[in-house]
Amino acid sequence: MIQEFLASSEIWRDALAAAAIAGGMCGFLGVYVVLRRTVFVSAALTQLSTLGLVVALFAEEGLGAEIERASVQLAVATVFSIVGALILGTASHRRIPAEARVGVAYVLAGALVVIGSSRLVHAAHDLGGMVFGNAVAVTLTDVAVVAVIAAVCVAVHAAFVKEILFASFDGETAAAMGLRPTRWNAVLYFTLGLAIPASARILGALPVFAFLTVPASIALLSGIGLRATFLAATIIGVLAGAGGYVASWFWQLPTGPTMVVASAAFALPALLLRAIR
Amino acid sequence: MIPPLVSLDDVTIGHGRRKLIGGISLGIGANEFLAIVGPNGGGKTTLLSTLLGILPPLAGGRSQPAALRVGYVPQRDHVDALWPLTTGEVVLMGRYPRLRPWQPPRAEDHEAVATALARVGILDLLDRRFGTLSGGQRQRTLIARALSAEPDLLALDEPTNGMDPAAELASLDVLRSLHSAGDLAVVMISHRIEAVVNYATRIALVDHERGLWRVGSVDEMLDDDALAALYGRRVVVREENGRRYLHPQAAGGDA
Repeated sequence: MIQEFLASSEIWRDALAAAAIAGGMCGFLGVYVVLRRTVFVSAALTQLSTLGLVVALFAEEGLGAEIERASVQLAVATVFSIVGALILGTASHRRIPAEARVGVAYVLAGALVVIGSSRLVHAAHDLGGMVFGNAVAVTLTDVAVVAVIAAVCVAVHAAFVKEILFASFDGETAAAMGLRPTRWNAVLYFTLGLAIPASARILGALPVFAFLTVPASIALLSGIGLRATFLAATIIGVLAGAGGYVASWFWQLPTGPTMVVASAAFALPALLLRAIR
Repeated sequence: MIPPLVSLDDVTIGHGRRKLIGGISLGIGANEFLAIVGPNGGGKTTLLSTLLGILPPLAGGRSQPAALRVGYVPQRDHVDALWPLTTGEVVLMGRYPRLRPWQPPRAEDHEAVATALARVGILDLLDRRFGTLSGGQRQRTLIARALSAEPDLLALDEPTNGMDPAAELASLDVLRSLHSAGDLAVVMISHRIEAVVNYATRIALVDHERGLWRVGSVDEMLDDDALAALYGRRVVVREENGRRYLHPQAAGGDA
């Protein structure tokens, strides 16, 4: 069975690489998502990127456009995700709590996706790929896109780690000491908005939400420091993305949910580590 | 005459279009200890934010003759203990505004962290997890973070809120020793005048519900009219062993 798997490397090679990169990227960003107590922002952004896809599909159907559809769809989904991320991450209102804004964005985008998809004539398959992931259809171009996005996220976070950390941990003090937390929150949410659509295209919406939540939660559960938490969450994301894909291949399971379960399986070693410490 | 570090001239404070209090004129001298006192929701934090330049005044002007380095201490429960940061990592954030993007903390930044922790008496907690500290230790950590910025002005928002009496006195003693050690202006918010009356050099009374705005020396603010305006009843001030104690009287009572 293993020989058969290895012999088929041309089929799974690109998907495995893309799942590992997307898993690691979401695992890293998830540390901020969990520590800022904004896990449902990632769910809302996934819905918004799907809404962007629906809009792109409508435009293509309406215009009968003869253009490279996948890149346009991803571009429109990314614009929706980034704009949504910047609004949800930086706007504040004295009368409406942040979680209510996230909830409104989630249900409204979800309802519009359902209404929009019911009116699409030919493009339901494309939408299904975006919502549930389509690891089998991953191409080398998809790997390159997600790798470039991951590199952008790494570069931004390496450059501005101090500022993003201070604004996330204690924005009130950061503002009083002249650091402009709104600007650095926008930078953080820009990377989230950038990462989610490309990851959802490869992994599906459920695993993206899971990878933005589960690896970071497990890393925090182990009781390690902040730097180690970022490293552990990234590694768990990589291993769960790749391992979940391989497991789904061997046991003929749905790929996305298998990745989610694979990421949760790291809770056991984390608990053991905490007990030892 | 030395100009104030920062001053407000006939300022109206508020949020957006909502005015809270008008006619505020206030200057912060280089080595003074100002306590901003008033009830919860009375406009104290809005006043401090306006003074620090975080919120723009709705009317009037704010002036700051020279660059002002601010060390800020938020309310302790506004800082999330979930983050797996050590005490040293939290204090190091006070140095971040001095560093450019890409620039990692330098040896002098780590030295400033150690110095600040030593000044508040918790250098031994450098590597302890912030979330495992007691309330008083967390407060000192946040004061150390503000001090690591080597500030001209130390601003504190309800620093003793929710503390037991021993921890409250210990925190206020730390502030007094920091203030008396050198050129450091302190502006501290409190909703309890009795907590600051033995530490501050000036007191500002703020309550937008009653349109209350007064500022003056501690003696001026302890007169019957000012205290009655703050408490809504008569308050007796007694002095023992060099400390002042406030005794609010029963509503409608004379003694």
